[in-house]
Amino acid sequence: MDIIVCVKRVPDTSEADVVITGKDIKKDDLPFEINEWDNYAVEEAVQLKEKFGGTITVISVGDEDANEVIRRGLAMGADEGVRIYDPAIEGSDGVTIAKILAAAIKNMKYDLILTGAQAGDLGEGIVPVALAEMLGIPHATLVTGLEIQDGKAKVKRELEGGLMEVLEIDLPAVIGIQTGINEPRYVSIMGIRKASKKEIKLLGLDDIGLTPEDVGEAGSLTVLEELSIPPVTKVAEIIEGDPAEAASKLAEILKEQGVL
Amino acid sequence: MEIGGETFAQKFDLFTCMQCGKCTGGCTVSLKSPLNVRRMMREALIRESSDVVLTMKELWDCTTCGTCTSRCPRGLDPAEVIIAMRGILIEEGRGVPKTIMEALESTVKNGNPWGRSRMKRTEWLQDFDQEVKDLTDGKSAELLAFIGCTPSYDPRVQEVARAFVRVFNAAGVDYGILGTEESCCGSEMHAMGEEGLFEMLVEENLELFNEFEITKMVTISPHCYNAFSNKYSEYGDVNFEVKHYTQFLVDLIDEDRLKLTKELGKVVTYHDPCYLGKHNSIFDEPRKVLEAIPGITFVEMDRSRERSLCCEGGGGMMWNEGAEGERTAVVRVRDAAEQGAEIIAVACPFCMLTLEDAVKTAGYEGQIEVKDILELLSESL
Repeated sequence: MDIIVCVKRVPDTSEADVVITGKDIKKDDLPFEINEWDNYAVEEAVQLKEKFGGTITVISVGDEDANEVIRRGLAMGADEGVRIYDPAIEGSDGVTIAKILAAAIKNMKYDLILTGAQAGDLGEGIVPVALAEMLGIPHATLVTGLEIQDGKAKVKRELEGGLMEVLEIDLPAVIGIQTGINEPRYVSIMGIRKASKKEIKLLGLDDIGLTPEDVGEAGSLTVLEELSIPPVTKVAEIIEGDPAEAASKLAEILKEQGVL
Repeated sequence: MEIGGETFAQKFDLFTCMQCGKCTGGCTVSLKSPLNVRRMMREALIRESSDVVLTMKELWDCTTCGTCTSRCPRGLDPAEVIIAMRGILIEEGRGVPKTIMEALESTVKNGNPWGRSRMKRTEWLQDFDQEVKDLTDGKSAELLAFIGCTPSYDPRVQEVARAFVRVFNAAGVDYGILGTEESCCGSEMHAMGEEGLFEMLVEENLELFNEFEITKMVTISPHCYNAFSNKYSEYGDVNFEVKHYTQFLVDLIDEDRLKLTKELGKVVTYHDPCYLGKHNSIFDEPRKVLEAIPGITFVEMDRSRERSLCCEGGGGMMWNEGAEGERTAVVRVRDAAEQGAEIIAVACPFCMLTLEDAVKTAGYEGQIEVKDILELLSESL
């Protein structure tokens, strides 16, 4: 079974003092890592390979630094690493990233494509859906369970309120992986060092049949106009009364606010 | 079973093991964990495949206290055999407790196992009335004070870091710190079996120390002391002299540079940390330092020096739940109470945290306090 996994390198902003510079945040002091959702996707692919055999290709759109996360995928058990980059790609929106991936992937052999359901930085969740559409194959997102049988995938999709949807989907397909689907293995430093010896294939726009006008802001459907930190305000209402009174007042407020 | 191209038997001289069981007999966790280090010595010898290690979850209960190694009549190193077996699980990527994985990944990402940002490593200096030289700010000093991850980030142990500063400043010692460029010493990464990460930290740290031309170092934690002193030379040239702060303070006290005037008026006992005591035979210096504090009545616990009962803080236990059963730290607090101690003096950040926790769970809050020797000195200044 040949699997392609799309991965992204993202900053960890959990303790960041967020500083806006232009249309981005200041990232010099931030540690970078593989997008958490993508890590679950790589682990899922490796577990499928352990079960069914085949090859795994890890692919990322990004500059040289993206090699870090591709190498990590190789260390986890992937066979090939591919990176797509051209400076013109900077400023691409999610649909354009999907376009770039599709342009590369359509020339590859695959039975299944896994991506993370969303990325930890922009959190748009566009790539798995747009990628599938562009490749003309079915997709499922927010997948928390994946079984392969007879050329079909049975997926569990996470819905709201603890509900789960079960779908059967023909392969090849794009699956957007949700966190918690598995327990990703530990990747040791020695493992990453060994994986560093493997060559990562670099593809430019020419290699995938795209021009600078197809990508970046020029090729995007959406353009980021402004990035700003929302104003910090404090609104606290203390609800008085005994539990029954307080509960009834609270219910009123929640109804008014459209929550109930 | 193989490791790094040779068999466990070759690397650890396992044919010499006579299976006497002194190792398991002295093991800190043997009363509650299925960990049987004597059996590990045999398994590592006779098994061809390392698959059996995948079934040994109890490997993670070891605190690396080194009691087994210190008692082996054949001079073998059972603690390192356990660490090497952990290494097999680490390289497999399977059978590693999730919290340990997180601590290791945090070290790669942030330079500390506590999941905290590198940029916040010097937060303990905020709103602090003392001057501390930062060598990365262009300042220079004769001595590097290696603060360590736990004193840098843990709120309780940050008080120990501040006590260190007060004491060393009062004694007029010229020293500097590496600020946010300081990274984990790697001691616990080695203990958790991530030797590749340990090697990487050694390379990075030695490069950093060379960049700042460090020739003398003092550490707060015995774990950092042990790593720099005994483990770093395996992977690089150690061009500096390192001491634990208790060793450094003994010299200061001899030279009469530390003026301790306030009487503490307490009954104090000392808990020997494994990484100073069992691993490095440093027993007298901490006691000499405590002796110099006025108004202290010193009492010795029955299990002291080499027999000190491990607090269960080492070997990755700071990031691992461990075996069910009574925590040895609780037993230790009872040992101290038995001697009528009001204060348990410690010299290690892990002992500080495990014992202070144990004082609460054993119900001695208000009766017994846990204080680092540096804190006691600071109170007596």
